[in-house]
Formats: sequence, structure tokens, C-alpha cells
Amino acid sequence: MPFVNWLKRHLVVIAGLVTLGYLLLPNIVVTVFSFNKPKGRFNYAWQQFSLDAWKDPCGVADMCGSLSLSLQIAFWATLGATALGTMIAFALVRYRFRARGAVNSMIFLPMAMPEVVMAASLLTLFLNMGAQLGFWTILIAHIMFCLSFVVVAVKARVMSMDPRLEQAAQDLYAGPAQTFLRVTLPIAAPGIAAGALLSFALSFDDFIITNFNAGSTVTFPMFVWGSAQRGTPVQINVIGTAMFLVAVLFVLASMLITHRRTKQKA
Amino acid sequence: MAAATGAPPLTPGTEEPKPPRRRGRLTPYWLLLPGLLWLVVFFALPMIYQASTSVQTGSLEDGYKVTWHFVTYWDALAEYWPQFLRSVLYAAAATVLCLLLGYPLAYLIAFRAGRWRNLIMILVIAPFFTSFLIRTLAWKTILADSGPVVGALNTLHVLDVTSWLGWTAGDRVLATPLAVVCGLTYNFLPFMILPLYTSLERIDGRLHEAAGDLYAKPSTTFRKVTFPLSMPGVVSGTLLTFIPAAGDYVNSELLGSTDTRMIGNVIQTQFLRILDYPTAAALSFILMATILFMVTFYIRRSGTEDLV
Amino acid sequence: MTTSNDGGGDVRLTGISKTYGSFTAVHPLDLTVPQGSFFALLGASGCGKTTTLRMIAGLEEPSGGSVHLGDQEVTHLPPYKRPVNTVFQSYALFPHLDIFENVAFGLRRRGIKSVKKQVESMLELVQLGEQARKKPHQLSGGQQQRVAVARALINHPKVLLLDEPLGALDLKLRRQMQLELKRIQTEVGITFVHVTHDQEEAMTMADTVAVMNAGRVEQLGSPSDLYENPTTTFVANFLGTSNLIEAEVDTRSGEDIVLRAGGGKLVLPGSRCSAPTTAGGKVLVGVRPEKISLAHADEAGAVPEGRNRITGRIADSSFIGVSTQYVIDSPVCPEFEVYAQNIDRDARLVPGAEVVLHWNPAHTFGLDAAQAIDAGTGADEAAA
Repeated sequence: MPFVNWLKRHLVVIAGLVTLGYLLLPNIVVTVFSFNKPKGRFNYAWQQFSLDAWKDPCGVADMCGSLSLSLQIAFWATLGATALGTMIAFALVRYRFRARGAVNSMIFLPMAMPEVVMAASLLTLFLNMGAQLGFWTILIAHIMFCLSFVVVAVKARVMSMDPRLEQAAQDLYAGPAQTFLRVTLPIAAPGIAAGALLSFALSFDDFIITNFNAGSTVTFPMFVWGSAQRGTPVQINVIGTAMFLVAVLFVLASMLITHRRTKQKA
Repeated sequence: MAAATGAPPLTPGTEEPKPPRRRGRLTPYWLLLPGLLWLVVFFALPMIYQASTSVQTGSLEDGYKVTWHFVTYWDALAEYWPQFLRSVLYAAAATVLCLLLGYPLAYLIAFRAGRWRNLIMILVIAPFFTSFLIRTLAWKTILADSGPVVGALNTLHVLDVTSWLGWTAGDRVLATPLAVVCGLTYNFLPFMILPLYTSLERIDGRLHEAAGDLYAKPSTTFRKVTFPLSMPGVVSGTLLTFIPAAGDYVNSELLGSTDTRMIGNVIQTQFLRILDYPTAAALSFILMATILFMVTFYIRRSGTEDLV
Repeated sequence: MTTSNDGGGDVRLTGISKTYGSFTAVHPLDLTVPQGSFFALLGASGCGKTTTLRMIAGLEEPSGGSVHLGDQEVTHLPPYKRPVNTVFQSYALFPHLDIFENVAFGLRRRGIKSVKKQVESMLELVQLGEQARKKPHQLSGGQQQRVAVARALINHPKVLLLDEPLGALDLKLRRQMQLELKRIQTEVGITFVHVTHDQEEAMTMADTVAVMNAGRVEQLGSPSDLYENPTTTFVANFLGTSNLIEAEVDTRSGEDIVLRAGGGKLVLPGSRCSAPTTAGGKVLVGVRPEKISLAHADEAGAVPEGRNRITGRIADSSFIGVSTQYVIDSPVCPEFEVYAQNIDRDARLVPGAEVVLHWNPAHTFGLDAAQAIDAGTGADEAAA
């Protein structure tokens, strides 16, 4: 039974590809339906091909405004979380101090907490303090939940770094500041970059925590959420497709660059 | 992108060795201060506020006072236990499905993909970049009543079985538990795949050869060597899937119906629409306690501490 | 401990080969390893020795040819169905299992229930009885190595394959383990096939050595045979050091061949020449550095008749304890190496001194001049 044998040998591959299909199917649907011309308010059933939405991506009231707000929040949240998180990561890996365990749990807990719990409790705080919900409360919340992920990413990188490299730098007449700038930071950079990218994606795509703490401010995910109730414009799919393409191109480009570099070195 | 960070160490048992003592005794504290302060003020403090809110009584107009009114917890549980149960069940089902679906793909990337490895990796991560709400809405199209998926399931009489089990209703998939679990599985699948991949990829390929050399069939090799060595990935993957799934309300709201409401939906409604803060805080507190308890128990049980 | 004796434990490779795309790792190869022998595959990295071993183990599917163990053909059997076990390079011990379970792994897979006695006696054999409940990472390199051997041997394989088993150990420990492995092999009597790039290790341990180069077996024989009578320049240079001189065939006198090199005459026993010898043809003449005696040019008259002799000037000398190594600049060979035992040191033998080199013609060997003269020295690899 050659077919059965073939199937047996490639079972993992087949199952894996099925999963991959499951993961990608919604993206395919999103892309296809960005060329749809729906009847009525909802873009859930295929009607006919149209480029209308691609020609006028900002044709929906408030959508592009919410998009730009989300990008701004993601930018500042990334900046804040990366700075604070990198400092914590360095402190954890490079120094010995009291209460390490407590600090570690403080980093770990936000990742092990359902978003809705963090969202609700943060809202309680803001309400109690009488804070005005909006841009700043969203930003505060985003920095808070991105922080832990940056710490984890940077810590992993700094931990795998050979401490003798820093000793070698000091042996070669580099002072503490120079050692940090010339040796430690460049080596930790990929970890910091990974943490920053992750923060950006998490912040940009966050809905649950934002929804609780945004007041009347509308970010892009909140706009999508609202439109699921009121009617989904095709432009949402256009934005989704464009984001997907930009991301894939970005990753491909960065891989190409590293590939070239390693080739040059070889 | 998340791949670069690998699996967040959701298993506190595996601690790194302590770094050497250094000069500059205050430096670590200065480095820690801003970030920790942020977490204390905007993560820990809110938890305390929430705990206090949950035992307050009063009304929006007259304000709330702490009256140690623990009855709120009892009332909340009595009223919303079905949603609690549903959350745990749906999240557990989605976690199991994620493990079953994610393991083959993680295995494929780690051991069988060859030069396709990077491409598949990109395809796993890339969907992250399209807003998850948009992708979740796409399931409305995929599972539409007149769509090909429902049509096929109907022809194969699968829906008869799932209806009988109570997973679907009649000829529909949308607005049923199956659709919600399907959406949850989809949303958190990458959080299962990435840690699984990270721990599979660390396994020395020669261990597979050694097992084969010592009379283990491929299936035995998997059972006795590969799977045990991938346990850290399984543990963090299941945690990273179960925790957010249990608190999720997006999938239930978009793909489900009033019969599939989870605890996240209730907390959201109580907080943002009904404005019954004590009940919402109590529910949120119960959810947090439940999950922390389960996570601790799970990590203890799975005994990843003494895994290499 | 006994080996299963059905059809013997010979390993027979017939025309076995392995190609990866356009790259040929192993050219069609015939090889028989007799039962109970300690056989070494020796060569530089990338010569195909490990691929050959892995084809015996079943970890690599041959592109052509067949593998027999005794009378049983195993060419297409998966590794878990072959009565063969491997000691992997850097051991591949299961990190999640303790030492006892690592050693018991193979027995359990074959459905043997009571493994305790066997595992314990095997751990005794490799002197690790105390460590049974430790995890691999808690052991030293040498101990891990012994666990790897025990884990393979406990299955009484027909053949034990060792892939650079001592590569990760430091020099002293390596020496010790060489003797240890040799002892175990004598004790259990199983066929050992040992892959290594270390010529000294191969010569110390193995009864038979096959020298591999670029996917082919260059020469096969006992260590002393390979050393004294190499048949290719690769073997001559890879195993120890050889001085190779390009010479022209002059005449034959009885068993001996008389050659001309740089105006002088050299005698080579016909039985020690692997090259065709027609008058006027070229031959590479080789001699090992330790076979040569060194005399100051003033004493040239005292050199006995009937010895091969060459003149030159000492270019360099280094004292290394048991011997002194000289590099001689000679018209027939630019870097002639001579190792002289430190018995009676002649104070005149310093760099710059004119000397006469002489040796017993019986120690001369002849090689085909069509080969690269520096194959196997390392110089050819650097150029490639």
C-alpha cells in the first residue's frame, strides 16, 4: 500500500498545512472582500467585484481618523514601554539586588492576567481618581501591558550574551558608559527591536483594555467593533489587507537584508 | 515578530542563575524604579481599588462606600455561574483544539520544513498584523448560513451530530457555541504555536536518531522523547491560550448569541452599560482568582520545574 | 556477555554510495568488517566516514548498494529494526531521563520488563553504579561518554558504531577512554566500527583502519601496515609524516629498483612500490622521518655502503624531548624532515650545517607520481 505509507510518512506535514490554512483563511477572506461591492450595510456576502474601496480608502467617516489615532498611540506606547522595559531587563540580568522574586512576579502577572480583569480594574482606578478618559488613559494602559513583553524579549537576548564581552571591553580601556554604548547596547539591540515591534503590534491591535478606558475616544479596533454593530464598510477590509501586505513586505525585506549580510560575512 | 521573543517564561519555576555582584549598588534600583512604579500604580493599585469596589454599596448618584458587603460575590456567582462555567469550558475546548492543531504545525516548522521554514513562520505571524477584529469578522463570512462550509457540513450530516450534542443549532453554525470556540481557537492559535515551536526547535535532532537507534519506532520516539522534551512549550502554550480565552468577550459577541455569553461579556456589560461597579468588580475579581489558582495548580502539576 | 551468533556479525558493504544532489559524499564502496574486530574509519572532516557509519546505522538511506549484517540484508531497514547501536558524537543522552532510564531505554523499547539487573551490571561495567539516578547534565564529559557506551552496549548489538566518541574530551581523558573502550571491546567481543579524524586514536585502538578521502577508501589495513607501507600520497601524509622525493626509474636489479634523484641514486625494494615502474618513468619515493640517520658532512665517509643517501643543509631544528626534529634543505626535496632520537647528540648538527642523510633501503616505499605530492598534508585543503 504505497499510498497509505506515503500518507503515514507525511501525516504531520498534511496536518500542519491544514492548520496553516485555518490560520490564513480569514486573511484570504478579508482580502477578497476588500474588492466586494456589498448590498446593504454589511460586507459579509459576496456580491460583485469592485475597486471602489481601494480608490477611496478614507471614504468612511471617522475611520482614517481612528487609524491615525491608533498609530499615534502605538508609537508613543512603544517608545514608553521599550524604554521602561529595557531598563528593567538590564537591571534583572546584570545586577543582583533584593526582592528579585517580587520584581519577577510583578513582570509576570500582567501577562498571566485576562485582559478584561486589567481593563476593569484600571477603569476603577481612573473613575476613583476622577481622571478624564481619552488619549492619555489609553496610552497609560498600553504602556502598562506592553512593558512585560519588552522585559521578556530584552531579557532573553541579554541573558544569552556572554558577560566576558563586557569584561573584554573594559580590559580594552572602555569605561562603563562606553562599554554600555559600544558593546552591550549593540548586542542587545535585536532583543530591544523585537520587544518594540511586539509592543507596537499589541498596542495597535488592542481592543479590550482600550474599550474600557477610552471614554468617547475611538481607536481603529474600536471603530471596527462599532461597525460590526452598525454596518461594516469595505474600507475596513482595505486597511486590513494593506496592513497584512505591509507587514509581509517588511518582514521579507528585513530577512533579505540579514540574508545578504550573512552572505557577505561568509 | 513575536517569534523573536519566543515563549514568554510563563513558568516561574525555571529561574535563571543569579548574576554576579557588581559595583554601583543603587544602579539596579534606579533602572527598576520608573517601570516598576508604572506597574505598581497602573496594575497593582487598580487591583486593590477593584477589590475595594467589589465590597462597596451605593449608587452612581449617591456615590459608593466600603461596607464589606461580601454578599455581592455570592449574588454575582448565583446569577452568573452559567457564564463562568461556559467561559471555562469554551476556553478549555479552544486550548485543547489549539494544542491539537498547533502541535503538527509547530513540529512541521521545527523539523520538516527545511528551506520553507522561514516562509511558514512568516505566514504564522503575519495574520497578527491585520487587526484581529477584522479577521474575526471574516469568520462571519466563512461560517455564513448559506456559505460553502455550512453547506458541506450539512451534506455530510456533521451538523446533525453537533446539533444533537448542543454545539450548533439547526442548520446554523453562526451564533452557536461551535462558532465561538472556533473563533477562540483561531484567535489564540499563534500563542500556542510559537512557544511549542521554540521548545521543539531546541531539541537536539540527534536525540531522535538516538531513540531510533535504540529500537524506538517513530511513534514511540515521539511519545518518549519529543513530547516530554516539548513540555515547557506545551505548558506555556496552553497558559497563553487558556488565560486570554477565558476572559475573552469579542468572539462570543461577534460570532455567538445571548446563549453563548461568557464571563467577559458580563463584566463588560456591567461595567460599561449597566454601571453596576460592585458586581462587575466582584466578577472580575473572581475571574482573576480562579485563573491564578488554576495556573498555579497547573504549573505545579505539570512539574516543568525539573525539566531540563 | 555474549553476542548473538546467528550468521556472525560481519558487516558487509557492497557498492554502497551516497549522493546529495550533485555532491557525492560516498563513492560506491565495498568494505567487509569481520566479526569481533575493532575497525576504524579514519579521515578528515567531510571525507564521508560519518556518512558511511550512518548508512550502517540506518540513519541515512544509501543512494545505491547494500548493507549486510551477517547474512541479513538491512539496507532499507529503519534504524529501530537493526541489531546495531550507535554511540553518538557528543552522546545524545536524553536530558529528561536519568542515567538508569537512558541505559534502560533500548531494553524497554524491545518490551523487556525486568531491566534492573541488566542495567545495574552494565553500569558496573562502565563504573557508574553510583550515578544511576542522576540526570545527564550532572555528569562530567567522561562519565557521559561512558553512559553513551553503556546505553548502546546493553542491547548486545551485532555491531557497535562509534561516531567520534572521544571528540569532546580533553587529551588526557581521551587517552584514558581509548584504553577503556579497547578493554570493553575485548571483554564483550562485539564488532566495533569507529569513526575518527584522529590518526593516533585510530592506530591505538583499531585492528584494521580504513583511511577515507573525498568519499573513497584510500587504503585499508592494520595500523602498522598502513604506516610502513602506504600506497597513496594521501595516506603517506595523513598518517604521520612522510618525506616524498620525485625520482626517475633507472634500472632494476633483481628485487630492487634503482632510481635517480637529483644526481644521486636511491634503491627501493620492488615489493614496496605500488606504482608502475618502467625505465625512465617517474616514481615518488617516500621515507618516514624517524628512519633516517643524520651525519655531519665531514663524516660522510663513515656512512656504510648500501644505504640510500642524500645531502643537504640543516634549515631548522627543534628539540622536543625524546627526539630532535630537523628540517633539511636538500636539492631533491625542499623540506626534508628528520627525527633523531636524543641518544648521542652531535653538537655540530645546528642550522646551517651541511649534512648527509642516510637510511636502510628497506624502509623506502614507492608511490605513483601521478598523484598530488601534498595530498593529506593539510596544505592541499587550505588551497582548495
